[in-house]
Amino acid sequence: MSPTPDLPSPQRGLTGAPLSLEQLEARVTERFDDVRADVLRGELTLFVPPERLLEVVAFCRDDEELSCEMLADLSGVHWPEGEHVVERQVSTTGWPDYRVSREQGVIEVLYILRSVTRNHVVRISAGTQDTDPRLPSVAGIYPTANFHEREVYDFFGVEFEGHPNLRRILMPDDWVGHPHRKDYPLGGVDVEYKHDKHIPPPDERDLREVVE
Amino acid sequence: MSTHPTTGPSSDFAELGDPGDELFVEGADWESVVDAVEDSTLTVNMGPQHPSTHGVLRLVLELEGEIVKGLTPIIGYLHTGIEKNAEYRTWTQGSTFFTRMDYLSPLFNEAAYCMGVERLLDIEVPERAQAVRVILMEFNRIASHLVWLATGGMELGTTTMMTFGFRDREHILDLFESQSGLRMNHAYIRPGGLAQDVTHDFVERCESLLELLPRKIAEYEDLLLHNPIWNHRMRDVGVITAEECYELGVTGPLLRAAGVPWDLRKARPYSGYEQYDFEVPTDTAADSYARFTVRLEEMRQSLRIIRQALDALPGGPVMVEDKRIAWPSQQALGPDGIGNDPEYIRHIMGESMESLINHFKLVTQGFPVPAGQVYEAVESPRGELGFAITSSGTNKPYRVHVRDPSFVNLQAADRMSREHSVADVIVVVASLDPVMGGVDR
Repeated sequence: MSPTPDLPSPQRGLTGAPLSLEQLEARVTERFDDVRADVLRGELTLFVPPERLLEVVAFCRDDEELSCEMLADLSGVHWPEGEHVVERQVSTTGWPDYRVSREQGVIEVLYILRSVTRNHVVRISAGTQDTDPRLPSVAGIYPTANFHEREVYDFFGVEFEGHPNLRRILMPDDWVGHPHRKDYPLGGVDVEYKHDKHIPPPDERDLREVVE
Repeated sequence: MSTHPTTGPSSDFAELGDPGDELFVEGADWESVVDAVEDSTLTVNMGPQHPSTHGVLRLVLELEGEIVKGLTPIIGYLHTGIEKNAEYRTWTQGSTFFTRMDYLSPLFNEAAYCMGVERLLDIEVPERAQAVRVILMEFNRIASHLVWLATGGMELGTTTMMTFGFRDREHILDLFESQSGLRMNHAYIRPGGLAQDVTHDFVERCESLLELLPRKIAEYEDLLLHNPIWNHRMRDVGVITAEECYELGVTGPLLRAAGVPWDLRKARPYSGYEQYDFEVPTDTAADSYARFTVRLEEMRQSLRIIRQALDALPGGPVMVEDKRIAWPSQQALGPDGIGNDPEYIRHIMGESMESLINHFKLVTQGFPVPAGQVYEAVESPRGELGFAITSSGTNKPYRVHVRDPSFVNLQAADRMSREHSVADVIVVVASLDPVMGGVDR
């Protein structure tokens, strides 16, 4: 057992320097003019229209500079119609303002692409209407997306077109509904207290009420 | 079982062959099976309660005689909806939930989650808290690898290793219990730092482990490294190359055993890992045996990191100064393991109404976290453990998705066990080291 330095050369080790966020952004946006980029907390997010998704993902994998060999993560976020989608965080706490500019009524699917050889990370965000969620499957580009997309289908009901085996993965096969959607009923009941006071079940509470 | 109307495939095992060939048998009609499957494949269920499947993992094997032609993992038996639950709890309570996912590496779950929340809050955790996190995480890595050696060893027939592994892991769990009150599922790492400072005998306890564990690891090496059965069972079994690892998103000891020195502690240092001197052990054989040697060496490197962190353990607070986040506020550990700081109680109960209000609001409502999305990943014993956290600016997470390494690595089981015999499936699953609590979440 010899530690790293004594090895012959690894098939693909850490070669090349990571690209900075600006370089990553420029590299993608100069190729795809309809991709919008945003940097927050040192992470680059590319907002990609669903019809360009496969092209952009394949470009990120195959481009020499980007060379994102690995799909590190794929997850969904549901932004339903309603007031609790924060367009702008009003800072009363002394923390800086941050915006989450999402359209309402969408399911956002986030792809974390990681380059092992160059050591940088890109996040791709693709939105789809929550009434008929549908996105192309990236399982043909990254086989690891197989389980991830099944999970997002299971939890959010997103149909990944071209997925080899789109079945439920964590919930039972005969489960009805997609539990991670914000409109999925939790089935809680009111808790009653004295003097006609009551606490509504968790999904009917106003999430904003306790924020000053 | 029926599929959801929108899923497409009409059979649950559509990918395993023509359903017309299916032959369901039970009891002692083996003869009829042998006659029926002479020129086709046999589909066999392994699990979900098979002792070799690491908990409730079900594998559907497609066999041609003794040779595995395909393997489909069926998971979800341990799904507890932790991610969904966390959306209705405060950010601090989230720590208590996520620690319960991968139950063999609870401190990694806590640390990764808290680091994500801290990134959203844009706060720096005190150095002492970071060093203690590193020490505990590395001990946790050793404990997790010991369980891997113990259960993996048991599956391959070395029951001695099983008792050894669990025995020595217990010493590490004793350390965790002395610091957090719990052997597992600690909820000791909180957004902003630690739940409380380490006890006065923390260094002493770590020292005794640092003295004990190298001897024990050498003992396991003596026992297994040249053990002929261990060698024959593991060498050239479950080979997965670096290219295949990239395709399938496989990380951790599997990727390192395939020759790629990829370790997030080196590649993207967090919690002050950049100040510690350690190696990333790799191998080129890419088989189960290589994973064993890589894990063995990783335990030694963990001890090296702990040694350095302990020597340079800084003083100071273990929670951020910001009173809007720091919770619970200034606790002192009594001889019974719990208790509040009398000074602090006097302050909030007798001196300052505002402090009492702040304490009450912090405990009941938590703190708001600025809106945004982060992805924070740490190197857990099984690979890249990532938390994709979305905040909408409230006192509760809007969505937390966990990229659990066991979940992703399990996809490689199919490719690793093809053309091997059924007995090798045990070796493959053992060398993957999946923890079903993390897979199913």
